[in-house]
Amino acid sequence: MKAFQYVRANTAKSALEALAKDPSAQFIAGGTNLVDLMKRGVTAPDKLIDISRLPLNKIEKVANGVRIGAMSLNSQVADDKLILEKWPLLAQALNAGASAQLRNKATVGGNMLQRTRCGYFYDTEMPCNKRQPGTGCGAKEGYNRMHAIFGTSEHCIAVHPSDMCVALVALDAAVVVQGPKGERTIPFTEFHRLPGDRPEKDNTLGKDELIVAVTLPDSPYTQHAHYLKVRDRASYAFALVSVAAALELEGKTIKSARLAMGGVAHKPWRLQEVEKALVGKTVSEATFQQAAQQAMAGARAFEYNAFKLKLAPNTIVEALKMAAGLTA
Amino acid sequence: MKNKDERIGGRMSRVDAQLKVTGAAKYFAEFEVPNLVYGVLVPSTITKGTIKSLDTKKAESAPGVLAVLSYLNAPKTPAYQTDEPSKTSSGRGPGMKAFHDNKVYFNGQPIAMVVANTFERATYAASLVTAQYEKSSHQTELKSNLDKGITPKSKSLQDYQRGKKDAYQTAPVKIEAEYIQPTEVHNPMELHGILAQWEGPDKITVYAKTQGVKMTQQVIADTFKIPKENVSVHSQFVGGAFGMSLRVWPHEIATILAAQKVQRPVKLVITRDQMFTIAGYRPHTHQKVGIGANKDGKFVGISHWANVQNSNYEEFTEATVGMTRFLYRSPNVNTTYRVVPLDICTPIPMRGPGEATGAFALESAIDELSYALNMDPIDLRMKNYPEKDPEQDLPWSSNHVREAYQLGADKIGWSNRPKEPRSKKENGMWIGYGMATGTFGAHRREATARAQLKADGTLLIQSAASDIGPGTGTAMVQIAAEVMGMPADQIKFELGETAFPYAPIQGGSATVASVGSAVHEACMALRQQLVELSGNALKKAKVDTLVYEEGRVRSPTDRSASIAYTEILKRNNLPMLEVTKEAKPGEEGKKFAMYSFSVHFVKVHVHPTTGVVRVKHAVAVADAGTIVNHKTASSQMMGGAVGGIGMALQEEAVIDHRYGRYINNDLANYHVPVNADIPDIDVLFVDKKDPYINPMGAKGLGEIAIIGMAPAIANAVYNATGKRIRELPITPDKLI
Amino acid sequence: MKTSKKTIENEARRDFLKQSSVLSALVLSPEKAIKDPNWDEKIAAPFEKVPLKLEINGVKHTLNVEPRTTLLDLLREQLHLTGTKKGCDYGQCGACTVHSDGQRINSCLTLAVTEEGKKITTIEGLAKGDTLHPMQEAFVKHDGFQCGYCTPGQIMSAVACIREGHANSEDEIREYMSGNICRCGAYPNIVDAIMDVKKGGQTV
Repeated sequence: MKAFQYVRANTAKSALEALAKDPSAQFIAGGTNLVDLMKRGVTAPDKLIDISRLPLNKIEKVANGVRIGAMSLNSQVADDKLILEKWPLLAQALNAGASAQLRNKATVGGNMLQRTRCGYFYDTEMPCNKRQPGTGCGAKEGYNRMHAIFGTSEHCIAVHPSDMCVALVALDAAVVVQGPKGERTIPFTEFHRLPGDRPEKDNTLGKDELIVAVTLPDSPYTQHAHYLKVRDRASYAFALVSVAAALELEGKTIKSARLAMGGVAHKPWRLQEVEKALVGKTVSEATFQQAAQQAMAGARAFEYNAFKLKLAPNTIVEALKMAAGLTA
Repeated sequence: MKNKDERIGGRMSRVDAQLKVTGAAKYFAEFEVPNLVYGVLVPSTITKGTIKSLDTKKAESAPGVLAVLSYLNAPKTPAYQTDEPSKTSSGRGPGMKAFHDNKVYFNGQPIAMVVANTFERATYAASLVTAQYEKSSHQTELKSNLDKGITPKSKSLQDYQRGKKDAYQTAPVKIEAEYIQPTEVHNPMELHGILAQWEGPDKITVYAKTQGVKMTQQVIADTFKIPKENVSVHSQFVGGAFGMSLRVWPHEIATILAAQKVQRPVKLVITRDQMFTIAGYRPHTHQKVGIGANKDGKFVGISHWANVQNSNYEEFTEATVGMTRFLYRSPNVNTTYRVVPLDICTPIPMRGPGEATGAFALESAIDELSYALNMDPIDLRMKNYPEKDPEQDLPWSSNHVREAYQLGADKIGWSNRPKEPRSKKENGMWIGYGMATGTFGAHRREATARAQLKADGTLLIQSAASDIGPGTGTAMVQIAAEVMGMPADQIKFELGETAFPYAPIQGGSATVASVGSAVHEACMALRQQLVELSGNALKKAKVDTLVYEEGRVRSPTDRSASIAYTEILKRNNLPMLEVTKEAKPGEEGKKFAMYSFSVHFVKVHVHPTTGVVRVKHAVAVADAGTIVNHKTASSQMMGGAVGGIGMALQEEAVIDHRYGRYINNDLANYHVPVNADIPDIDVLFVDKKDPYINPMGAKGLGEIAIIGMAPAIANAVYNATGKRIRELPITPDKLI
Repeated sequence: MKTSKKTIENEARRDFLKQSSVLSALVLSPEKAIKDPNWDEKIAAPFEKVPLKLEINGVKHTLNVEPRTTLLDLLREQLHLTGTKKGCDYGQCGACTVHSDGQRINSCLTLAVTEEGKKITTIEGLAKGDTLHPMQEAFVKHDGFQCGYCTPGQIMSAVACIREGHANSEDEIREYMSGNICRCGAYPNIVDAIMDVKKGGQTV
């Protein structure tokens, strides 16, 4: 790892000032992804601005929802009483990610900003447009078992690895960011981006901005919600496919639905059209099968991930069944 | 009072447990050595070719850097000054000469080492070394190079034929199928490396991660052409190895060269990704099995072919097709083994080497045959049980595999197994049961132990054995306690030092049989001496009828005629009684076929639409002779079963053949089992003494713990789903 | 050429000093060294360390570390607390697990400087003198290890697992202990050890 300067910020304002002075600097919060990337030479900042002690770690009930400080730890959110009661889907997704140790360090903001785990991105000897624009995509014709089936471009087929974000995008979260000009709010669906011809850009956060909070509106999805993660081992593994499914039911009728997938795209993959189509339908395997088929429109597989074309809809059906309480 | 747990067959806790749970156990990288500096490797970034130029200037001028070592400036290694590949120390030496020339044999091969005064500085400076290469085209893919397979030189892996060739083809019921084992990597939790310190121009001390200090000593002495006794190797604690430390790797020699160059002790700890590229692996293997039977299930013939991934610079073989020759009674058997040289590092035995891979093919094929015959797979195996070893035509020294089948079947609830595949669900999951057999040679090698009975009544035993985890010291203390009739806390067993008498490598499940025999004999000799020194009272009695208990020897008939060991020493004015005993295998290997056997049973759940497999219950049964310590032996069997779950369901090291580079070489992307993957595992022992193999009657356990587990799972998956997966690992994508 | 590069580096360092005083007043190198025109990289490097106060196993340490030094390497290479293990160095195995202000973390992905002022507990700080911690006792009793290399991390994680309230069933333990890989495969015994301590009700 290259030597770098280290400064610790005590306020969001001073953090942003430090960043403004030195645009090549990077923020470090939990560091669970950044330090890894620095060790492997994927990124080599000259300066780190430690934001882990910013007073942004509160989980507060606000009018019509909750505001989760960006420095809240993943474990803190997953074990939070309010979250468990009102947004259990989020807690479930958080607990499906990483390990207890990592969740004790990783922050909500950092989780959103984690980079892809694509092997070509991590190996500095391999081509990767995300790490080094213009070098090509190693995965496209390489070992792409873990890769995207939606929204890929010729430049990048990587997936966003977060579980938390899949739940957040399903639950209509918004991202509060602070920049030199003050605060702005980005709908979660617009926070992460597709690779297009700029795969090096994971999200729409400005280079001079800092995530300060995530907000969630009050939701009716407390009873019928499930996060299902299919992976190669029972825990501590990234998703092959994951699904966040949430239903608002009146008897057996779906009043509203929320559905998102992980492990299938460069961003957490919200399925709003499918959600709309589910409204008014009766919960049943057939309804969910139909939803799953609809969800797969536009999917495209590569050499090693064709199984996701089947696994993804199957996982949607399974997650919806579990959310609805339809399991055997 | 005699504590049964401290004797052979007991359940004593590990003698080194306290050191391990407090963090006080010191592994090779943890020794404080004055003036220590750090080595970090620079790996090649091409797969094959030559280094045209190496730019080390930036690295050399980076803070704290003492040297950048490469073929350009490394001290000459005396044994490497010929063009022949290194042949030191009967294959345990590094097959590739570290920093000898500019040739690149595989991607990730160390081409330089940066030495700096801190780990951070060495790591950073290593990233500054750049190389220009002359690339040659490379081959790393087994599948597309199967036609390049060659017959190995290894005597035991020549083509084998008993009876008619490919007779299975003529059988009324037959199966012919291909089975694929991917590359697996040992990945012990401790990273490999070495700490090397020259004590003089021809004298060196190393702290190593080795499965044999004497082996490491011999290789270093041969490589540097220095006297063996001038090489001290320390390796008391080894953080797992599973076979990867059965040789000295080039990067160990490189570190010794670096220590010579900078005239300071150098420590190298390789990275987790280098654990995949430069420290061996279980080779990718394509196999075909043909097996035919009469309608009553009697085997007509078995044929087994294996094509095994190998490096391009030395030969590696393992007994992939070995068990096919003797595990079942079949009049006709033929086996073929080919090595396929590729541009990668040489493989090295990984737990249950060869046999684990071979068992996946053979034991899957037998399961397939059982369905074709509509016969219970246990019945089919029972039907073909050989009363003696059909390969060597020798009686078994002991073989209780049939009893093992019964024990395991009862424990798992085999009667609940669905007769038809894909016919039974539980909580929405397909359920399936599977079983398979494993076997491994019960070996014994020469070993020596030194026993010192001291005036204070304590016993110190030393032998240069290793303990990579099974609990060697604990078993040795129990053997000594048994023979000497002493409490375990009065006995100390020391290992892992070249200063101690010779012990073989810890490999091939032979430590208890080999070192245990030496400890046994040393203690027996000690007893003999005690009696001789004890005075007349006991001399009248026959030595072998005397009773040794509570640190005393006494007459079998007269309880009052007893004398404490300490008293004997005192009366003879001896500060200590010392014996050194060498123990060797005798002629038993020529008279008997000696093998350990295991049977694995599993119950799996398979999710019908996501293809996720969960092992819900596993039973591991071992026929391994006398079990010296039931607690540690049970852990060892359990650990092998866990390794088998990884092998069956998760592990696969993937190379992108365009670049010849691994694409998943870390523990996030190469999956080994985590706690949540592991169900209750019941371990059962037949626990019957082998009458011929060694004084304890103990056969090996380490390898059979994993052999057969993967096919048991594959067979259970078939039973659950009706899908026969012939390529490991059985990941969800293969089942949906 | 060489001189001008140095000047820039010196300026960068002064700039760093200035900024850090604005931010959280991190003290840096002695003035003398910085003003030295012959200050080259080799001399400079030792001064690039930043001060760090940590309490480790109840002992207060005042240290100077490079910002890039991880807590793991600080413990093992500088403080010789080698009970904490390096298994992967990438946060993928849990061998390096320690407690920071009582919470289990991977010390390999933790830059030591970010732990300023915190209380670190390693395996060496778990026993009370010669008396083993109940979790250490349970690991011995249940044979929760073989080679012993992952063991310190397992034990630190196991203690935290109970303290967090995530040890209420075998399945919950399995899940919440999945961040600690044991290649020897001692998992069932580890679960037994934790259940034993949990049921025993001792304070951990």
